[in-house]
Amino acid sequence: MSPGLTYVVVKGHAMMADLLTPERMRALAERESLEGFVEQLANTPYGRISIEAEGDLSIALEKVFYQKFIERMMAIVDLAPTKIGDFLQSYYYLRFEVINLKRIIRGKFSGLPTTQIVESLIPIVPYSVGSYENLASKETFAEAIRLLDGTPYASLVGRLELSDKYDAIWPIEIALNHLYASAVFKSLEELPQADRGLVKRIVQAEADVENFLVAAKQRSARESAHDPEEMFPATYGIGLDKLREAIRSEDIRKVIRELDWPYIDILAPLYTGDVALIRSRLRQHIYSISRKGRAENDFGFNVIMAYLVFSEIEKDDLVGIGWGITQGIAPEDILKYLAIPNVE
Amino acid sequence: MEMKRRMGFIERGTEFLKLKRDHLAKELTASIEVLKGRRSLLLENLRMAYRAVTAAYISLGPTEVRSQASSIKSRLELEVLPRSVMGVRYPFIKVEKEPQIAGELDITLSEAAEKVLAILKEIIQLAEFEARAERIADELGKTNRKVNALENTIIPGYKQIIKFIEDKLDEEGLEELVRMKLIGGALARRRE
Repeated sequence: MSPGLTYVVVKGHAMMADLLTPERMRALAERESLEGFVEQLANTPYGRISIEAEGDLSIALEKVFYQKFIERMMAIVDLAPTKIGDFLQSYYYLRFEVINLKRIIRGKFSGLPTTQIVESLIPIVPYSVGSYENLASKETFAEAIRLLDGTPYASLVGRLELSDKYDAIWPIEIALNHLYASAVFKSLEELPQADRGLVKRIVQAEADVENFLVAAKQRSARESAHDPEEMFPATYGIGLDKLREAIRSEDIRKVIRELDWPYIDILAPLYTGDVALIRSRLRQHIYSISRKGRAENDFGFNVIMAYLVFSEIEKDDLVGIGWGITQGIAPEDILKYLAIPNVE
Repeated sequence: MEMKRRMGFIERGTEFLKLKRDHLAKELTASIEVLKGRRSLLLENLRMAYRAVTAAYISLGPTEVRSQASSIKSRLELEVLPRSVMGVRYPFIKVEKEPQIAGELDITLSEAAEKVLAILKEIIQLAEFEARAERIADELGKTNRKVNALENTIIPGYKQIIKFIEDKLDEEGLEELVRMKLIGGALARRRE
């Protein structure tokens, strides 16, 4: 049973102090060696982390940051009142579960050993399926999908025919994206009216940018493009007409220039083909609106949402820094793609 | 006569070899120019592909990149076939099968994958072109040595032998003439 919104909000406020500031994040990204990075991290709430010397260090670091984020998320989501809790569970647990299911399907499709597939999963307790290990231990990906019959993912079984026809797993992946999107939008509608504002802005900005990126990707495969209505089940600030135009237009710059703020700024890196920068700008935008949302209502749901958003962006930035440092990437090249140090 | 016939044959052969040498030199110069351009373009494209891969890793995280990359269905398959220019054989690389992506890649990764695939094709073409230029250079060296050997050793040698034979024949002819004159003179004196 939830101890109530006030308790969770107060807890959110308290936990907010553990988050890294843009300056600290920048200092971490500027470390030139892994030892320096671990040393610098030891002076933060993460403390001294220990990573196994064997195997891929960047993956070991990624696991540490995911683990920390999941701990933070569970401490909030599991205590949130019903409607808010339902939304947060769809938004986080379902999202991570969808990522895990995709990793299992890809792993089975490419014949990876079960242990390798299980190791690649985000360490969460299964949300709507019995066990990830059971799915990963199936002989083929089709068998793993069939095991989902009787769960909220049962509709994936019907996509097996299409998957078989194309000898590909994208029909399953697209169906999973749709399942996640509809669950999030449904739980979003059920949120109390007063709590919807910030969440709507976040979810809609994410959906709009992702839709536009999918449309931009379809440009190179215009002939085999799927039906836009089927591809984009939910559109907000960037409507279906604009997405259609993005797919068909010869000049994507023109389409972007005609979009409203913030999309005109977020999507501008598409001019130069630097799509990763779009994700970074989207994260910066979400960070900013969460900060503003929190400032608007410092005693409500916005605090919870802002804390979770900041935590997740922090996790994403740290994963990027960890990988960059282990690969010897120059700090300026890492910093360019981070969100927190670049938030205005 | 046989020597002169052989000499004519050798001189004609040398002319052909000179023509081949000039043609190969022209091919090589053109190839080097193209190679220079392609190499710098490849380096620039490599930098761009590396940046795209780096960006995808930083944006998505290493585990997600690896997971998405595992949905590549088939590998790049190549066939190496022989081709020839002016009798110089070089390998021609034919792309039999391109890697196919069976999954729904994130756009950052699909951009990086496209750039890497284009680079792979460029590297293959460049390797083919380099091998071609290398073989042409080898053949040019060989042809040059042949032409030099013919022009500086074999033809002068033959000329010397022919001259020696001609001189010898001239000498023998002169001796014969002198001998005939002497015999003719002796016979005339005996008749008197």
